[in-house]
Amino acid sequence: MRILVVEDYGPLAKSIVQGLREAGYAVDLASDGDEAQAAADSSAYDALVLDLMIPKTDGMTILRRLRTRGSTTAILVVTARDQVPDRIAGLDAGADDYLVKPFALQELLARLRSVIRRKYGGATNLLTVGDLEIDSTARTVRRSGQIISLSAREFALLEYLVRRRGQVVSRAEVWEHVYDFASEPSSNVIDVYVGYLRRKLGDGEAGSPRLIHTHRGLGYSVDAPTAG
Amino acid sequence: MRSLRTRLTVALVGVLAISLSALAVVIDGVVTRTLERQFDARLLDDATAVAGMAEDEAGATEFEYESLPEFERTDLPAYFEAWLDDGTVVARSPSLGTSGLSRVSVNDFGPTFANVSLPDGRRGRTVQWRQHLRTEEQGAATFRPALSKRFVTVVVARGTEELVGTLASVRRWLLFLAGLTLLGASLAAGVAVAHGLSSTRELGLAISQLDPGRLRPVPTPAALPSELVPLVEKVNDLLLRVEASLVRERRFTSDVSHELRTPLAALRMTLDVISSRERTVPELTHALSDLNTVVRQMQALCDNLLALARCDAGQVLVKTAPVNLRALVDDCWYPLAGTAAARSLTFRNELDPMTTADSDPDQLRLVIANLLSNAVAYTDHGGAITVRQRVGRKGSLFEVHDSGPPIPTTQVPHLFDRFFRGDQARTDGIHCGIGLALVRGIAEVLRLEVMAENTPDGGVSFSVSASAS
Repeated sequence: MRILVVEDYGPLAKSIVQGLREAGYAVDLASDGDEAQAAADSSAYDALVLDLMIPKTDGMTILRRLRTRGSTTAILVVTARDQVPDRIAGLDAGADDYLVKPFALQELLARLRSVIRRKYGGATNLLTVGDLEIDSTARTVRRSGQIISLSAREFALLEYLVRRRGQVVSRAEVWEHVYDFASEPSSNVIDVYVGYLRRKLGDGEAGSPRLIHTHRGLGYSVDAPTAG
Repeated sequence: MRSLRTRLTVALVGVLAISLSALAVVIDGVVTRTLERQFDARLLDDATAVAGMAEDEAGATEFEYESLPEFERTDLPAYFEAWLDDGTVVARSPSLGTSGLSRVSVNDFGPTFANVSLPDGRRGRTVQWRQHLRTEEQGAATFRPALSKRFVTVVVARGTEELVGTLASVRRWLLFLAGLTLLGASLAAGVAVAHGLSSTRELGLAISQLDPGRLRPVPTPAALPSELVPLVEKVNDLLLRVEASLVRERRFTSDVSHELRTPLAALRMTLDVISSRERTVPELTHALSDLNTVVRQMQALCDNLLALARCDAGQVLVKTAPVNLRALVDDCWYPLAGTAAARSLTFRNELDPMTTADSDPDQLRLVIANLLSNAVAYTDHGGAITVRQRVGRKGSLFEVHDSGPPIPTTQVPHLFDRFFRGDQARTDGIHCGIGLALVRGIAEVLRLEVMAENTPDGGVSFSVSASAS
């Protein structure tokens, strides 16, 4: 999942970014409204963590502009304004949730999971494909009841593919939603990680039906094996 | 405290009582005089009538008494006595009996009136009248009775009880009417004042129903006396000012809370992130350094808030001493140098090392530190900050000049307003509209004037000079 953090206060922005990266998200940072707008225009984010009081273009304007343009990115507003009218204004302008400073890292993560889940039409943090179970809260993966240990990046890749189950996801999309801009773009990296995932899941091995499918020239998809 | 109603009523009744008394005295005087004149005229009529009864019959005096019932009855009678110049009594009223009537003086024609005590002890009034005796002879040319050369003097006396009674009755009526008028007037005054002031109760009710947290102008009652309208207007003016001050206070509290929440969020988030898993020593050191930065910024904000509150409360003690400005500026720059270097800002202190100013070094330090901190925060990356003597300005201490960008013209008048931010966001958590407000507050205490202006070279200058006043 790729997230854009829009926060102008350096120390806070820095710790939010670190917290989200360590939770397995691909995170970009914008420290003013103009940067945020440019980033949102150039890349498809799964979620925005948006401070309303930011220099140049303010957060409220960004929020309205994104919604006017039909963006479905999940937007979590983070602000020091705790008055009810402020919250109402934020939610009415198109925010999916509202978090008042100061807040705990765990709450930020929970709310992010919640807004992202809703964006992908799910009502629970437990995703199941065939005999594969992914708990995005506990960040655990089980196959046939066996816990499988994944790295943060592998987990992020699997979660993204599973959230879009049934759809063919291109390597570019995986790149955009799962990886930080900071790392070198290379489709090979994605293939390598898909390889790791398959090995760890025992995908396609004896007694384990194949869940991750390769579509040559198009990308990957995750789907339960069809009967027969 | 006395009731306005009572005061107005007492004043009105007092003035009315004096006027009515004066009027009553005048009426009483006029009536008394008129009645006395009428009484005296009747006495004189009686006297001339009695005198006319005496006739000179060729040297002898004859008195042709015609019956006059008043002079004969025993109950409240009138009296007369007539005598000649030689003292011979010609006639006496039957009522007189053996008593006599007092005489004024002989040979006086009169009429002479006097108040006397009547023979039966009543109070009365007499007239003494002297005239020629009548003769039987007719004058040739006229039909007037011829006059004798001899004189008769008559004294007539009557009791004044009727007059006194009438006058007493008149006075009673006057007193009654005056009393009635006074009573009516005081009632009317009381009612009028009460009615006029009834709207003040309405006003009082409206004021008592004001919500202290949300002051609104009091509506002026329709029946409010025009004298009280300015009072309501003054009260409403006051309410508006109090409300404005409350709004400022609320905004201040909300802004302070807002400004503290952001660094607090950074502290919490940093702590949460760092404690979410095992960390290496370099990671921990790095986090501690971040926390330290945030705490120092919060402390600076709190210090500024406290100093501002002291300014507001007038609790700033000024201890004047000679201050070496250049050294003080260097001192103030020291904690900012790191931030400035990170933003590639260059700093020049061009003040004369020998220049001193008489001021409070501790307060002046706050002014300079905040101006420098402001310059560091708002000067573009790679810019220059210069502190220098400002030339061509009398009483000028120094100016802090930075290379810009310039401040939008519309924002210049509000720069020193509390919590004013040109941009709706802080840049580093402590430039939240406190620093410059504090600079102005302290400058006022130090009798200094701080001015901000855009300079022709595209930069911004904050100058500090001795206040004109």
